[in-house]
Amino acid sequence: MSGYVPPTSTAAATTTTSTGEGRSVDYTCGDCNAAVSLKRGEPIRCRSCGHRVLYKQRTNRMVQFEAR
Amino acid sequence: MVGQAELDRRKIVGINAETVTNVTSTDFPGQWPGEDHSWDLDFFKRTFNVKFHSNDQFDSSFSLIGLDASVANAFRRILIAEVPTVAIEDIFVIHNTSIIQDEVLCHRMGLIPFRGSREGLRWMHWFQKGNDEDPEGSTHNDYNVCILNLQIECAWQAGGQMRAVNGETDPNKLYNNHNVYARDIIYEPTGQQITRFADDPVRAANPDILIAKLRPGQKINMRMYAMKGIGADHAKFSPVATASYRLLPTIDILKPIIGPDAEKFARCFPKGVIGLEPITREEGQREGSEYKGHEGEMKAVVEDTMRDTVSRECLRHAELKDKVKLGRVRDHFIFKVESTGQWESDELFLESVKLLKIKAQRMKRALAALMR
Repeated sequence: MSGYVPPTSTAAATTTTSTGEGRSVDYTCGDCNAAVSLKRGEPIRCRSCGHRVLYKQRTNRMVQFEAR
Repeated sequence: MVGQAELDRRKIVGINAETVTNVTSTDFPGQWPGEDHSWDLDFFKRTFNVKFHSNDQFDSSFSLIGLDASVANAFRRILIAEVPTVAIEDIFVIHNTSIIQDEVLCHRMGLIPFRGSREGLRWMHWFQKGNDEDPEGSTHNDYNVCILNLQIECAWQAGGQMRAVNGETDPNKLYNNHNVYARDIIYEPTGQQITRFADDPVRAANPDILIAKLRPGQKINMRMYAMKGIGADHAKFSPVATASYRLLPTIDILKPIIGPDAEKFARCFPKGVIGLEPITREEGQREGSEYKGHEGEMKAVVEDTMRDTVSRECLRHAELKDKVKLGRVRDHFIFKVESTGQWESDELFLESVKLLKIKAQRMKRALAALMR
C-alpha cells in the first residue's frame, strides 16, 4: 500500500550533530514532556525532573503514502 | 393496433406479497405479433418527459419518464463511476505525531471531497501512474497535479496549563489547534494553476470535516498531491454521494376501503400517500354502488404514490390484501443525485449525458472502422 522512501541524507534525522562520539540524540521525558538531548554514555535521566523513562522522537524522514 | 390502456398495463410491474411479476420490458421488435416496437426517434421525442421534483444545489430529484432501464442505469453508473473530480492521491508525511496513524490519516485525506474551478478541472490532464507497460508514468506537472499542504501544531493556550491544573477539561479552553479541520489544508497553486484556479481555488467542499485531533506538542506536516480521477478507479473520485433511481410506485384500490379499514389502510403507507375522503350523499345512495349505505363514512383514496416506499405492509392484512393492487411503472425513473460539492446536482446529470454521448460516438467510429 505504502511506498517506503529511503532517506535522502545518511544522517539520522534525530541526531543534532553527526561527528562520531559527540553526537547527541533528542528524547522526550515521559513525565514532564521536556526535550532531553543525550550523548553516548550519559545516564538515561531527564535533566529537569529526574524521570528515568525517556521516549525517542519520531523520525523526520519523509514517508510517502497513497491515499487509498 | 393496441389501445393505450393495454400499453399502460404492460408498463406496470406487479408487486405481490412475496413475488414481483412482469419485470422485463416487452417493447421491442418481434415480441408482440403484428406490432412494431422498433426504436424510433420521433416516438421517443414525443413520449419522453423530464420532471423536476426538487433541485437544490447539491441534492436534486427528478423523473425521467419513457426511457428504457438500460439507459437510465447507464446514466446512474456514469454518474457514480465516470464523472471526474479531484482527490488527494499521493501524500508525503513529513511529520505526524498525532494519535492517528500515518496510513489511516492518509486514507482519510483521500476521502475528503475537494472542489475547484470547473473550467480548471476540465483543463486538468489525467495523471498516469507507472505500470508494467509504462514504468515511468506521467511526470508531475502543473496540469496534472494540485499541491496541497497541511501544517498544523497544537499548543497550550496562554494560561491553559494553569487552567488544566485547576480542573478545566474543555479542550477549547486549554489548547490551540487541537482539532484539525479540512479547511486547514492549504492549496499551493503552481504554474498555470495560478490563473486557471484564481477565482475558484481547489479547497475542501466541506470545510468543517474533522481530520484529526491533537494535543499540545503534537503536529502534522504533510504535502499532498491531488489528481483528477474517476470513481471507477477509486470511490474517492466519485462526484456523487449517491446517485440512484427507483420506479414510480402505483397503488390501485380495486374495491372500496371504508371506515376503520380505510384508516388502517392509510397507516400501512407513509404519510401523505393515502388520504381519507368522506363518502358523498350521491355515492351513498346510488343503486348498486359499493358505497351504498355508507354515506358520511370515510373512504381511502390514493393521494401521492411518489412518497410510497412500497413496504407492502397493506398486503399483510387479510381485510385489505384483496382490495388493493400494488405495482411500479417500469419506465418512470425517479432519480436522486446528491453531489459531493464539485458539481451542482443538475449539472452532474448533464455531464453524465455528455459522457454517454461521447461513448456512443466512440462506438460508432469503431463500428465504422470495422466495416471499412
